[in-house]
Amino acid sequence: MEQLAVMPETIIDEQVVKDCQEGDREAFRLLFEAYKDRVFSIAVYSFHGDQTAAGDVTQQIFLKLMTSICQFRGESQFTTWLHRLVVNTCVDEQRRRKRYLDFGETIALPTTGERKPLERRYERRELADCVKAAINELKPKFRMPVLLKYVDELSYAEIANVLGCSKGTVASRLNRGHKQLARRLAHLRDQVVLED
Amino acid sequence: MFAKHVGKELSAYCNGELSLHGASEVAEHLIGCPRCRAMFEEIKLGVNLAERLPEMKAPDSLWQDLEARLDALVSTGESASARQVTSVRAIRPLARIWQPRFLAIAATLIIALGLGAFWFYKQETRPSWEVARLDGSPTIGSAIVNDKSRLAIGQWLETDNVSRAKIQVGSIGQVEIDPNSRVKLVQTRPTEHRLELARGRLSAHIWAPPRLFFVDTPSAVAADLGCAYTLEVDDEGGSLLRVTSGWVALHLKDRESMVPAGAACATRRGIGPGTPYFEDASENFRRALSKLDFEPHDSDWSKIPAFNHVLMQARPRDTLTLWHLLSRLERADRLLVYERLATLSPPPNGVTREGILQLEDEMLKSWKAQLESTWSNDSGLRKAWIKVWTGALSKVKGVEGKR
Repeated sequence: MEQLAVMPETIIDEQVVKDCQEGDREAFRLLFEAYKDRVFSIAVYSFHGDQTAAGDVTQQIFLKLMTSICQFRGESQFTTWLHRLVVNTCVDEQRRRKRYLDFGETIALPTTGERKPLERRYERRELADCVKAAINELKPKFRMPVLLKYVDELSYAEIANVLGCSKGTVASRLNRGHKQLARRLAHLRDQVVLED
Repeated sequence: MFAKHVGKELSAYCNGELSLHGASEVAEHLIGCPRCRAMFEEIKLGVNLAERLPEMKAPDSLWQDLEARLDALVSTGESASARQVTSVRAIRPLARIWQPRFLAIAATLIIALGLGAFWFYKQETRPSWEVARLDGSPTIGSAIVNDKSRLAIGQWLETDNVSRAKIQVGSIGQVEIDPNSRVKLVQTRPTEHRLELARGRLSAHIWAPPRLFFVDTPSAVAADLGCAYTLEVDDEGGSLLRVTSGWVALHLKDRESMVPAGAACATRRGIGPGTPYFEDASENFRRALSKLDFEPHDSDWSKIPAFNHVLMQARPRDTLTLWHLLSRLERADRLLVYERLATLSPPPNGVTREGILQLEDEMLKSWKAQLESTWSNDSGLRKAWIKVWTGALSKVKGVEGKR
């Protein structure tokens, strides 16, 4: 269910957005295919790994996208508009649920002493699981900039635009997020360095 | 130098969000400020970890579920847009006839144009370094290097037998490429600048925090610790590192050699870095060490002459070589190295023979810290500087002294 973070290869241009505004379901399908994985990823990490909740929220986001795309006037980039929709829907849904959900699979953070000399592939997977678990422990205001930076590969200016704050605030929140990740996963430092 | 700490800017620095001038100021501050450097290591680890965050793949059933919800919306008349989307084919029956063909043609054109645009975009925007011609006609790809060429990620810079070139490594240093060399830019970002030297020789002068500049060779990776050095790769993929200032770490997997100024270290494909030695050691000492490091020993006795020669000829300064050998030999030979090392420089308090034979990490480090004073001609300030860097290095690597 997971893959390396990459930019979508599908080219979403103004015409596709315009076609969506005119009600072309094929164009909407193109849009969906281009962004579904990144939207789903943000949702998964926002809901503590609950993939069922994430799937539901992803559907909500695309339904909202379809029903409100006529309101998109091209005053900002389409991706910025989409990301605002993603962030706002996730925040609204979190408020609605008013409680944290746990990962479907419990992920224990392994310590250096517990690790055995396993295959590198397994170690990479284990490392990724640890990062996912640590991301879930971040407060939402630190987690979302991290997700927008590393899942959606947005610049600080784009993140600031999506979150409605200054670039300085984005830098400050990412600083806190990076520090907390490093402290929670300090025991994996050797593994990270060796993999590099 | 310490007036304005850069802690708040470190994420932006690591993410490449600062201007060249801003990044340069942060790098300079990091060199002189232990507090910010410690914070930098922490942020760098956080960035490194976050970069491993996997993208999740949405379930394949999501589109079907979404379509069902769209249809439900339309049937209840909740949304004009939804109704419009769902009824598009009914409203335009003619479109259904030609739309697939049209879509196929349009999709082909869009993909072709998109790929072309994407390729040009990548060509124009991918990070690159300035390259200047020093002699002859060095080339990047098929283009001859002039006074203001650029080497982008993935591109090869090549020199023939009379050509030389100089690469500006961002804001942290310079690398000169000698004749008959082939070099590729692998990566350039604030947390990592990396070249690949496939063959030939380069001379690097780097002024940056440790482990920001790397050179990959077929048999090891050279990690800069703020220094000057030359690195030469032969046709078999073996290399020779010669350090003229500061320190360089050579490693392959978990085998690592720390090489200070005045010392050299050879590497071999499939083996990695050999044992470092000072260049003023005798020819016989160096030859014996090379046999010990790289020649196959089909029986224990075949390496005895070389091993004995290294032990017997070792001077106080050659404790550099002996210290590295401790973790690379079997216990019986390690005991002999320990005894010779202890004769040349008795271990500090708290370091025991059994601890060294067991390769206790802290004891190895403690002894090394004492020995370093005989490995370097640096000033007191320089020694303090080296101590900071090597301390930081051991925290980062955590593999020093392990085989």
